[in-house]
Amino acid sequence: MTYIWYLIALVLLVIPFSAMVFLPINKSKPVLLGFFLIFIVFMYGPMMTMGVLSFQGPFGSMTLPAKDLGSLHWFTELRAESSLMVGVRDGITKSLWVSLVVAAITAVLSLSLGMAFRRQFRGGGILFYAILLSLMTPGLLLSLGLSFLLYYIGFNKGEGMLGYVPIIGVQAVWALPFGFLVMMSVFNRYDARAEEAARDLGASSFTTFREVTLPLIWTGVFGAGLFGFTLALNEFERTFLISGAINTLPLKLYIITSSSVLRPYVYSLGVVTIIISFLLIALFLIVSAITGRKKALAIEEDGSGVDDLPSMTAAAASGD
Amino acid sequence: MGGSSAVVATTGPRRSPLTTVAWILPGTIWLLLFLIAPLVMIILVSLWERTPVGFAAFSFSLDAYGRIFETSVFLDTLKNTIFRSLLVTALCILIGYPIAFYLARCVKTIKFQIALFIVVLAPFWVAYVVRIIAWLPVLGRQGVINYFLVEVLGVVDEPISALFYSTFAITLALVQLYVLFMVTPIFFQLATLDEAAIEAARDLGATPGKVFREVIFPLSLPGVLIGCIFVFVLVMGEFATVRIIGGGTIQSVGTLVNDYYTIPDLPAAAAAATMLVAVMTVGVAILLRFSKIREVV
Repeated sequence: MTYIWYLIALVLLVIPFSAMVFLPINKSKPVLLGFFLIFIVFMYGPMMTMGVLSFQGPFGSMTLPAKDLGSLHWFTELRAESSLMVGVRDGITKSLWVSLVVAAITAVLSLSLGMAFRRQFRGGGILFYAILLSLMTPGLLLSLGLSFLLYYIGFNKGEGMLGYVPIIGVQAVWALPFGFLVMMSVFNRYDARAEEAARDLGASSFTTFREVTLPLIWTGVFGAGLFGFTLALNEFERTFLISGAINTLPLKLYIITSSSVLRPYVYSLGVVTIIISFLLIALFLIVSAITGRKKALAIEEDGSGVDDLPSMTAAAASGD
Repeated sequence: MGGSSAVVATTGPRRSPLTTVAWILPGTIWLLLFLIAPLVMIILVSLWERTPVGFAAFSFSLDAYGRIFETSVFLDTLKNTIFRSLLVTALCILIGYPIAFYLARCVKTIKFQIALFIVVLAPFWVAYVVRIIAWLPVLGRQGVINYFLVEVLGVVDEPISALFYSTFAITLALVQLYVLFMVTPIFFQLATLDEAAIEAARDLGATPGKVFREVIFPLSLPGVLIGCIFVFVLVMGEFATVRIIGGGTIQSVGTLVNDYYTIPDLPAAAAAATMLVAVMTVGVAILLRFSKIREVV
C-alpha cells in the first residue's frame, strides 16, 4: 500500500522537474508557479490546520472535523492552574531566559570571529570548517557527546544555575555558524576607509573599534543575536540529553506528546510559539530595512552613488 | 558559503598577532568545549567498558560494538536509516530544485524575490517539535488527507489508518522539515549564475533542455551538493520525527541511540553513534568526490 503513495508522489514530482528541464522559461513558468503554490501549501498546510484546530471549543479533538470553531478555550486553558500548565509556563519562562543569554553570546562570538576573519591568519581554514561543522552535526550526537563529557567530569545535569551552562553552550554552538555568516556578509561589503581615517588621526585600535567599527556594524551584530535567540528558543535535540530537570518549552512539548493524552492545548501552544517566531522574523526585517534605507541615504549625501552601485545592489539582494 | 580564502574579506586594518589571537580565542574555546570535545567523547566512550550507570574511563575494549552487532536489529536499522536518508535527499532535490529555480530565475524584481524567499524560509524558524506535531491533524486516521479521500473524493471507503505511524508519513514529514536546507544553497547558486554563459548557449541555438543540462545544471551543482550533504547528514541523525510520527513502532539509528542511552548502556549508545558518524563521513566523502566542490566553493 505504501508503495502506491511513493509512486503517486514520484509521478507528481516529475512533472514540474521535467517542465523546468525541457521547456523554455516562458512556457515552464506557469507550471513552476503552480508547483510553487503547492509547495507553499505543503510547508504551511500542517501549521494552518493546527492553527484552525486550536480555536475549537471545549469539546474539540485532535483531528478533523473541528468542533465549535471560534473559541479561545484552549488558549485560556494555557493559563490554568493545573500542574501541567504551570510546568508549561515555567518552560516558556526558562526558554525565554536561555534564549536571551544565547542571543548575547552568539552576538559576541560572531562579532569576534567576524573581526578575526577580516584578515588571513594561520589555521583560519580549519577554524572556518569547525564553525560550519556545527551546522552539519546532528543534534542528538552533540547532546550525547556532551552528556558523556558531563558524566565524565561528574557534573550534575540540570542542577541550579550551573545546570544552564551546557544548555546555553550547545545552543550557542548551533547558532554560531548562522551569526558568523551574517557577520561575514556584513564585513564583505564593509568600507574600511573610515577606520583608516580614524587610525591616521591617531585613534588607538580599541577606540577605532568602539567609535568607528561598532556603530557601522551593529545591525549585523544585532542580526546575529536575533539568530541566536530564535534558534535557541526552538532548539530541542541538542538539549535533549543534557537538560536534566530543566525543561525548556520544546522539551516540555516533546514530553507531553510522548507521554500524556493529547488535547488541543498542544495546538494552541504550537500557535503561540509560531507567532513568537514570526514576530522575531518581522523584527529582524524591520531593522534590516531601516539600516538599508540609512545606508542608501548616506550614499546619496556622499555623492558617490554611482561608485557604490554594486555594493548597494548586493545589499538589496541580501535584504540588508 | 565559500572556502576560507574566498571568504576572508581582507578589508581589515593591519593588526598585531596578539589582537588576532584575542578575536579568535573566545569562539575557538567555545567550539572546542561544546562541539569538538563532545564528538571526540562519543568515539572514546564507544571504546570504553560499560558500568551499571555509565562507563569506566580509559578501560579500553570493543565490547560495545560486540553488543550492538549481537543481533541483526542495529544493522537492519542502519540499512533502513541509510535508505530513508537517500530517499529523503532524492525527494528534496526533486522538490527543492524547481522551487529554487522558480525563485531565482522566474521571479523578475529583486524585491519580490526577497519577499518570496522569506516566505519560503520562514518555517525554518518555527520550533522543530511544533512542526512535527502539526502533522498530527493532517496524517492522522481522521486527518485532512483521509477526510478528503473518504468524504470529498470518495475514492476509499474507510480511512487509511496506516497513514500516520508509517514510514511514508515519516518520509513526508522529513522532506517538509529538511527541504529548506536544499532550496537555500541551490537558490543562492542559481541567483548568481553567469547570465552571459546562458545567453551565449542560447544564441548558439541550444534547445532549452540543452541549455539546462549543459550550462545551468553544471553551474548550480555546488549548491545541489551542499544541499545533499545537509539533508543526508541531518536525516541520518534524525530522532524526534521518527519517534513522534513513528509512534515507537519504527526505529532509526537515532532512536536506537536514545534507547541504549536510557537502558543505560552508554558505550553501546556511543558505538551506535560512532557507526552513524562513520556512515555520514563516508556519505559526505562520496558526495565530495562527485564533483570538484573544493575548488568551486
